[in-house]
Amino acid sequence: MNDTVVHVDHLSKHFRILNRREGLGGAIRDLFSADYKTVRAVDDISFDIQAGEIVGYIGPNGAGKSTTIKMMTGVLKPSDGTLLVSGNEPYANRRRNAQTMGVVFGQRTQLWWDLPVIESFRILKEIYRVDDATYEKHLGMFNELVDLKALYSQPVRKLSLGQRMLCDITASFLHNPRIVFLDEPSIGLDVSVKSKIRSVIRELNRAQRTTIILTTHDLGDVEALCRRIIIIDKGKIIYDGPIGKVTALFGAYRTLKVQIHNYKEGTSDQLEAALGARFGGDAAIAVEHTETGWTDVTVNQDQVPLFDVLRFVMETLPIKDVRIVEISMENVVQQIYDGALK
Amino acid sequence: MRTLLHYVRLYVLIATQYVKARMQYRADFWISSVGMVFTSIATVFVFWVLFHSIPDLAGWSFDEILFIYAFYLLSVVPLQLFFDNIWQLRFHVVEGSFIKYYLRPINMMFYYMSDMVDLKGWVQLALGVFMLIYASQRLGLTWNLWRLGVLGMALFSSSLVAISILTIAACATFWIVGSFPVMDLALKIRDFSPYPMTIFDGFFRFLFTYLIPIGFVAFYPSQFFLRPEQVPLLTYFSPLMGIGSFALAYFVWTKGVNSYTGTGS
Ligand SMILES: Nc1ncnc2c1ncn2[C@@H]1O[C@H](COP(=O)(O)OP(=O)(O)O)[C@@H](O)[C@H]1O
Ligand SMILES: [Mg+2]
Repeated sequence: MNDTVVHVDHLSKHFRILNRREGLGGAIRDLFSADYKTVRAVDDISFDIQAGEIVGYIGPNGAGKSTTIKMMTGVLKPSDGTLLVSGNEPYANRRRNAQTMGVVFGQRTQLWWDLPVIESFRILKEIYRVDDATYEKHLGMFNELVDLKALYSQPVRKLSLGQRMLCDITASFLHNPRIVFLDEPSIGLDVSVKSKIRSVIRELNRAQRTTIILTTHDLGDVEALCRRIIIIDKGKIIYDGPIGKVTALFGAYRTLKVQIHNYKEGTSDQLEAALGARFGGDAAIAVEHTETGWTDVTVNQDQVPLFDVLRFVMETLPIKDVRIVEISMENVVQQIYDGALK
Repeated sequence: MRTLLHYVRLYVLIATQYVKARMQYRADFWISSVGMVFTSIATVFVFWVLFHSIPDLAGWSFDEILFIYAFYLLSVVPLQLFFDNIWQLRFHVVEGSFIKYYLRPINMMFYYMSDMVDLKGWVQLALGVFMLIYASQRLGLTWNLWRLGVLGMALFSSSLVAISILTIAACATFWIVGSFPVMDLALKIRDFSPYPMTIFDGFFRFLFTYLIPIGFVAFYPSQFFLRPEQVPLLTYFSPLMGIGSFALAYFVWTKGVNSYTGTGS
């Protein structure tokens, strides 16, 4: 079966950033300036995506996720390499391409800001030339998923961030696209809204067999939705494969955040050494002091019980405050570089 | 044809929704309309004062100037009504919100411009029509079907020139950070368009006729009605000038859109 929806082959996007000068005079001189710095936002990546897949495209901030999405949706022209979406070059024929895809960009709504929600749907119906039967059917389905009816008459600008995101996501499925791109759909939302959004995405994928590419820097999103993930960092793909392997590894990881009273340079190194001496194994426990004033102790629960570590830390150092969080994307990336998936 | 119909339907749909939404802020509509009327009256007043100190401005009477000014008001109505979002371009480009306009299967310029429907244009239209009728009565101009046709054609051409000049100026933002001065300059230059071009000396007349053709916004086309016996040959090319300048503006827009890379977030 060959049902490739997205074909990416040695794709790159480089931004040339001008070192700008001040004022209008500077701006005019800038037009002729050659004082550039190159940012390799996406650097030689390759992958294929099959119809019906939900793929998690994940990586820390600035990894190149949005840039990839912008190329796939035809906003940006690739600097190098091949990119085909549904067999077309997105950039070369934006209008035709847009007809077969849906896009949601994080916190930027594409609905009509001052108009009631339902009017945005009507306008989209007209833009994509959706016939009445399909329109009614889809609205009915959205209603079951989201209780959209309650929001119909509200102007978009009056919706909460979560409501708006739900409307944006469902709207992107209105014209029955082959593929939908969701760039950070859960950014800035609280836990209950996140889980709502995840279930809506799952349902929409199931109902229409729509291919979905979802970017996020939250591992929780992909755990709930994707079977396959692609991890990108500094423009390069560092993992592409089943999520199972990654969750098996990182699902057990937790980060113990502690605030140490009178923290001094070197305290974290001493702590790491002490933990190593007490529990053994260096992959299981990493200690890092962050700029926010918290010290992060990352623990692999499969190897060391979290609460033993916590007790030990509290006995060793004067602790003001404690939090337990899932492993951060940055940390996952670091572990992969250190050979965790090998 | 089918496409054209599609766009018309789409525009009407969006515009009516905007009107409905805007009507909920009636105060805002009336305040800005009143502001617009006052601005126009103030401009006429300046003309009037000017004419009372200098009885004829390079051979142009007050009523003729009023006619040209009315023509000018009418020719910028389409800009007001359909291209008002051009003023927001710099903001969208700098903020990165511009990328949403790449994502729909419709013409980008259409999509962008349809995203703002400004009602003040209708007030300006009424004001322009009123002034035009008043001035032509004082001048003893008679209107027949043929002349109305010519007026329509002339206004169509002029409005394209006005739209193009501002569109091109706004597009500077795709290449220049802090492009406000460009837009501001275009606006200041546009403000010269209701003046008889004959009051300018060689250099400026050349500039405003060929390079930044604001002469075609109001002055040259009005000559058909005011002084048909001395219409400069060039005036017959107004429609070409209009279409040509819009084609150029569309080209610049497309170039800008394709060179835009968004913001780094
Ligand atoms: N339009 C742009 N101009 C210059 N640099 C950019 C632009 N867009 C993105 N970048 C840079 O490219 C890198 C990747 O950005 P992005 O794709 O937005 O990352 P992500 O979405 O993974 O957070 C970052 O270093 C960012 O600063
Ligand atoms: Mg991003």
